[in-house]
Amino acid sequence: MSLDRLFSIIAGYMEQWVVVPVLFRFHWMAWDDLAFDWCLICVYGLFAVFVTYAVCLPLEYWRPVERWPNKKAVAVDVFYTLLNRVGVVPIVTFVLFYQAQTWTTGFLVERGYIPPTLESLVPFLLDRPLLTFLIYALILDCADYWRHRLSHSFRWWYALHALHHAQRQMSFWSDDRNHLLDDTISFLWFFVIGLIIGIPPLQFPLLVLGLKFVESLSHANIRLSFGPLEWLFVSPRFHRFHHGLRAAGRHSCNYASVFPVWDILFRTADFRDEYLPTGDAKAPEALATGGYMAQQATGLKLFWQALGKSWASLGIGRAA
Amino acid sequence: MADSGAPPVAIVLNSGEGTVSVIDTVTRQVIRTEPAYREPSHWALTPDRQRLLVADASGNALFIYDPSTGAPMGHKRIADPYQIGYTPNNRYFVVNALRLDFVDVYDGADFSLVKRFKPGRWPSHLDFSPDSRWSFNSMQNSDTLCSFDLVNMTQRWSVKVGTTPAGVLWLNGRVIVCLMGEGGIVEVDPIRGGITHFQKTGDGAHNIFLDERRHILYVSNRGPGQTSLTALDPVTLQPVRTYPIPGGPDDIAIDPEGNIWIAQRFAESVAVLDPQTGEYSTIPVGRSPHGIFLSSMLRQQGQVTAERLL
Repeated sequence: MSLDRLFSIIAGYMEQWVVVPVLFRFHWMAWDDLAFDWCLICVYGLFAVFVTYAVCLPLEYWRPVERWPNKKAVAVDVFYTLLNRVGVVPIVTFVLFYQAQTWTTGFLVERGYIPPTLESLVPFLLDRPLLTFLIYALILDCADYWRHRLSHSFRWWYALHALHHAQRQMSFWSDDRNHLLDDTISFLWFFVIGLIIGIPPLQFPLLVLGLKFVESLSHANIRLSFGPLEWLFVSPRFHRFHHGLRAAGRHSCNYASVFPVWDILFRTADFRDEYLPTGDAKAPEALATGGYMAQQATGLKLFWQALGKSWASLGIGRAA
Repeated sequence: MADSGAPPVAIVLNSGEGTVSVIDTVTRQVIRTEPAYREPSHWALTPDRQRLLVADASGNALFIYDPSTGAPMGHKRIADPYQIGYTPNNRYFVVNALRLDFVDVYDGADFSLVKRFKPGRWPSHLDFSPDSRWSFNSMQNSDTLCSFDLVNMTQRWSVKVGTTPAGVLWLNGRVIVCLMGEGGIVEVDPIRGGITHFQKTGDGAHNIFLDERRHILYVSNRGPGQTSLTALDPVTLQPVRTYPIPGGPDDIAIDPEGNIWIAQRFAESVAVLDPQTGEYSTIPVGRSPHGIFLSSMLRQQGQVTAERLL
């Protein structure tokens, strides 16, 4: 039995014996069809966390870049990961995205325009699902490169993104460590992309997990580069350079999440073979070692302050 | 009908992965998987029975297949088709656009939009009166059944029928509606829209089908918990037998031998049930199988409209 099929069957049991009883009890059975997708997201998310943990933990013990006397600062990153990959955030995001996309599609359809999918724009792709998936992955990764790069360019945006960079004990758990407002901007960013080229098909959920795995691995505290394939996928060494102390704020590099080709193409790649200490020296300590709520509150406060400064300088500022 | 030298096939619409599985019904093996865009759900047969139209809701398209082989024949852009059906006189093609809250009436010949209704939230299933004058459409998230006059293009009535109405069937001058939230079916007066009878079948009663000889009515019950298929007397609406079918049974189709092919939404399988013995075997297909068409239906008499014979 393939992994895909195994996960779908687990999600099916979850749907039939856990989710549908709740929907039925509260008269929400209209959501029955979509609930199966929620279950799949949870099952795949849990598997992703498990695989990331199983692969990265031994590697971090074997070839760590840094050894820490304690890992208290990592604990909050574990919480971010579970919240974002298995917990309520993917479900809420799914529902919000569904509703927003439905409303926008209805608005456009009433005006005589049917939103496309990539395959309807490029019919050649219809019976080439793997190629379609790769093209979607490249387009979305390119969009993420520019989102990330811009988040380092605007003062108010970096005030939010600083939460991600403040971690001095960067590990494979750090990928999902983001401010909720920063996540919201990402959501809107990809929502617009989704409207332009359609939502990617889900024939290859394991490949989606593979791409998420590359993102988690790239944050790991591992002395590891991909050698001659360093240009193909973002390695822990490549991404650590982006998280280096001197790369916080606007003077950064290596923005790509999965494919370094965007950094090469837009001249922001740095392939030096160095493993730098991470963090943001200018970030308040609460962003580095505070609990979840403290980090969110501090991020929000910094955001308002930066927004005020940006507004004062006619709306556009640079990250400190 | 296309070349009959091909083996009889079952065409299964996998909503969860945007594909269509083609099964050889003799060997009961998947022989091909064809692509759709995103979410194939329900089907309609063109009046000449030469093309099978498959609704791909979030892909905003109708995919066209050879109904005797499952071979792809192209696709057509159309907004959010969920359940679809030709009126019995073939004049109109009616689309329930579930996500967008539209009931769209297209010209059956050229697919130009004739009328758009916005009758409620989440239009899901539909059926017609045999004279093609009226359509009956369930609004899954408004708890209503709506009826439209397709001569005057007006809404006739909208009535609350119970929690989460889904499958709809015209049956002997009555309209039967499945209620997912209440575990049974209701009988509705097609003239005034009043409810005349409620019959318990099973929790999550989802869709309803009549066998070719019009002897038995089948209702798929999608849970919670144990899921099943209930057989009822089409005259009295009394249950005559319940078949435990795991994995969320959805749409069904009946082959010439009387076996019932059942899409199991949460089990990535199609179950083939012998209704005499109650035993079934399963065939693995794609994720979230939904609608199911058998090429043997091409030989059946009668007009195929919204996934069923009149």
